[in-house]
Amino acid sequence: MRKITGIIFILITVVLVWALNKSWNIGAGIPALGKLLDPVNGCWANADAVNDGIKTDQRWPGLQHEATLWVDSMMVPHIHATNDHDVFFIEGYIHAQNRLWQMDMETRAAAGRLSEVAGPKAIDYDRKQRRKGMGYAAENSLRAMEAEPRTRLMMDAYTEGINQYIATLCYRNYPLEYKLMGFIPEPWTNLKTALLMKYMADDLTGGTDDMALTYLRDILPADELKLLFPDKIAGSDPVITRGTPFEKPSLRTPVAPPDSVAFPHYKPTDFGEQRVDGKGSNNWALSGSRTASGAAILCNDPHLGLNLPSLWYAIQLQTPDMNVYGASLPGAPGVIIGFNDSLTWGLTNNYRDVKDFYEIKRVQDNRGKYLFAGKQLEFTKRVEHILIKGQPEVVDTVYYTLHGPLIYDGKYKSTDGLQKDLAMCWMGHRGTNEVLAIYLLNRAKNYNQYVDAILNFQCPAQNFAYADRQGNIAIWGQGQFVNKWKDQGKYVMNGFDSSTLWGQLIPMRENPHVLDPPQGYIASANESVTDDTYPYWYNGGFVELRAWRINQLLADMHKATVQDMFAMQNDTYSILAEGTLPIMLRYTFGISDRYQPALRAWDYKLTASSNAAAIYQVWWYYFAADLWRNMVGDKVPDSYTPLAERIMQLMQAHILPGQNNSDSAAADKFYGALAIKSYNEAIDSIGRFFTASRTDLEWYAIKNTKVQHLAKLAPFGFDHLKIGGWGNTINAAKGDHGPSWRMVVQMGKNEIEAYGVYPGGQSGNPGSVHYDDMLQNWVDGKYYRLQFLPNTDKQDSKMIRYTLNIKP
Amino acid sequence: MKFIAGVILIAAFSAIAEYFLPWWSAAVVAFLISLLMGLRPGRSFAMGFLGIALLWLVFALWHDTANQHILSTRMGGLFHLPAYGFMAVTILVGALIGGLSALSASFFRVMSQFKKNIF
Repeated sequence: MRKITGIIFILITVVLVWALNKSWNIGAGIPALGKLLDPVNGCWANADAVNDGIKTDQRWPGLQHEATLWVDSMMVPHIHATNDHDVFFIEGYIHAQNRLWQMDMETRAAAGRLSEVAGPKAIDYDRKQRRKGMGYAAENSLRAMEAEPRTRLMMDAYTEGINQYIATLCYRNYPLEYKLMGFIPEPWTNLKTALLMKYMADDLTGGTDDMALTYLRDILPADELKLLFPDKIAGSDPVITRGTPFEKPSLRTPVAPPDSVAFPHYKPTDFGEQRVDGKGSNNWALSGSRTASGAAILCNDPHLGLNLPSLWYAIQLQTPDMNVYGASLPGAPGVIIGFNDSLTWGLTNNYRDVKDFYEIKRVQDNRGKYLFAGKQLEFTKRVEHILIKGQPEVVDTVYYTLHGPLIYDGKYKSTDGLQKDLAMCWMGHRGTNEVLAIYLLNRAKNYNQYVDAILNFQCPAQNFAYADRQGNIAIWGQGQFVNKWKDQGKYVMNGFDSSTLWGQLIPMRENPHVLDPPQGYIASANESVTDDTYPYWYNGGFVELRAWRINQLLADMHKATVQDMFAMQNDTYSILAEGTLPIMLRYTFGISDRYQPALRAWDYKLTASSNAAAIYQVWWYYFAADLWRNMVGDKVPDSYTPLAERIMQLMQAHILPGQNNSDSAAADKFYGALAIKSYNEAIDSIGRFFTASRTDLEWYAIKNTKVQHLAKLAPFGFDHLKIGGWGNTINAAKGDHGPSWRMVVQMGKNEIEAYGVYPGGQSGNPGSVHYDDMLQNWVDGKYYRLQFLPNTDKQDSKMIRYTLNIKP
Repeated sequence: MKFIAGVILIAAFSAIAEYFLPWWSAAVVAFLISLLMGLRPGRSFAMGFLGIALLWLVFALWHDTANQHILSTRMGGLFHLPAYGFMAVTILVGALIGGLSALSASFFRVMSQFKKNIF
């Protein structure tokens, strides 16, 4: 009897240990609990001490010479090295030390390799990434990056640094998320860096409304389409100051083919991707004539996905010929947005369309061929193996045409069910080398070197703002663009006709730019790039509201200080509310409820605790959606409604969407009925928001700005942050997008005064106090003084927390 | 006396083992120490239970205090537990494995003696 009991207990123990040593695919997945909970090696080992002690000096065998690392009170590392190899080696090492899991996941997300670690739920996502040709794009760029000796050295050193850090790891010091998800870090490669660059390119140039516009073009009369979706909105304050003369173009605009040849026709069931908006950014610069100190000031706040670990990592890099500080992208070498000892730069997305779609006609009885210019061409096949955790791999063959990969076909439908054979032609597929632009930009000494640097930045196109210590300011709408005929790529094109092919590239020196405009400032916020005098045709996903507000404030700005710039970056004034609410309120004077007086007294600021802001925002949402449904029925998704600023202009001009002329009486009737209907819907919706415990109507509570963990683990993230603003105000804090790095730099002759903050912290470890220690200051609109250390061997700054001497 | 010595030995040797080997090496240590001590099943279980509990409690408290409960609060959130609840679950899992392992050893000892009598 005892024998049997004994065997049973031994079995129970062994089975229990086994069960706690493996992860289980139950529900959302259960990690290996014994491994995870073990306080010696498991998650408890990731509980970083809040007051970390003095670090000892280190030996990193991959270095060529000794180097010094100062870490300041913000946990920003300042790397002082004697050569390029060492500085990028150390940057790679430190990025990995703080953000390895994030770098791993972002590059997996780029390549379509998430299923490998997250299981079958990511298969659709992975297939889509492969269909978009992300791996193909990264391989093309990698060839260009490795063919150029400077970027080769930079990327090799960076990769070595990351791998040296990975080699020091064992289970105990893996980042927490590896323990939770049950996989292990793999060696870094230069390809991963290329993938990350394409991930950003896709994020910033990926959105499209080509398919929706193709359909709308058929159902709306031509003048109505133009009225609602103009290439450039009237009254735009373009990126390149209005009136700036442009050089004579070296290329002639090609002749457009007849519409019947150029464009196919779409049904409402043919819609491809949903339009995702929300990415935007602001930058502006003031010349010395407009600042109190007489020095130029540059400001930048790129609005990207708000996540933890944070997208950005602040860093300073020093070599004998470089001293640069700013926001780096873990996974890529160098500094992406920042300043050096001569100049500063900031980026906003340019939004000129560099991604077009072609409908492909297959040969009737040979599915492996397609028609082009009267010939039968062979598809190039790329076989994608998608590895899946806990399941056999999925194999997807992606067919490449001379335009690009077939993103959809019968075997892979869009979320809306689009099945047409549709090829995607994207500038990002080309072998561009943005890392070279970063390399040169980080060490540029003057405007000419700055221009030479950014001319290598091809995709994603960016508005590059500039200011230097001599007081010059400039901005370039920089990227690689195609010389298009009018409307080329605005709609889906017929892929079988040669006239629709992308033609010559516009020489990049002809990209629109302005240096020291007479008004003394430059600004961009994703609006139209130029006025109508720019000689090349382009279209794009431009928005105007933030740009209008920025230009309005800058035009009145004299003797500006950095404090004025902080206030501007945190400004929540809604131009849209100012333009539309007085009109909407004209029709609701008959309604007497507790909200109307608040709306009438409102200052149009979307502050965090404003009640009126909450009501207006909900009201406007229903107003715009009803207006759209009124016009096109419910066949077209709401998200394809015309821009809010365009609707505002029509309302102000008493123009009905279906007509081209002003008609006050008809407009009153139309907008009046809409205003009342949508107001009632808004009040209903707000009523549902209240619960027994929630009786206060505050804007921040309704919009719910959140900063989520990348793996969507709720306790590792933050929601309902008490911050004002929306995508169309300067402080563009939306739901899960917003100012991902706020920077203000004053380029004094004697001193560079720089400030910055981002919604997170330098550490990527959820068990560290530095995981989120900047978040509350970001919410509150407060800044950190950035410690820009002089390029010397010794430092005496009081802000240095510890010094590491690193020997090879 | 044997009991208290066993508890301390299990905690100490598990700490060393776990530093170089995976977490389940603690179970092996509890098994071996229990085999050596030869206590009755009930006391063996308690010895293994307390031995690993002691080790895991010390490590968890040490990390958690220096960390000001940041990690335990977030990890607890994943398990819908408060920070100290999460620590309690952690220690319970280790203690249970330690107890069962030590208990198994006491039975194993009886079984091997049984065998010895036959041959």
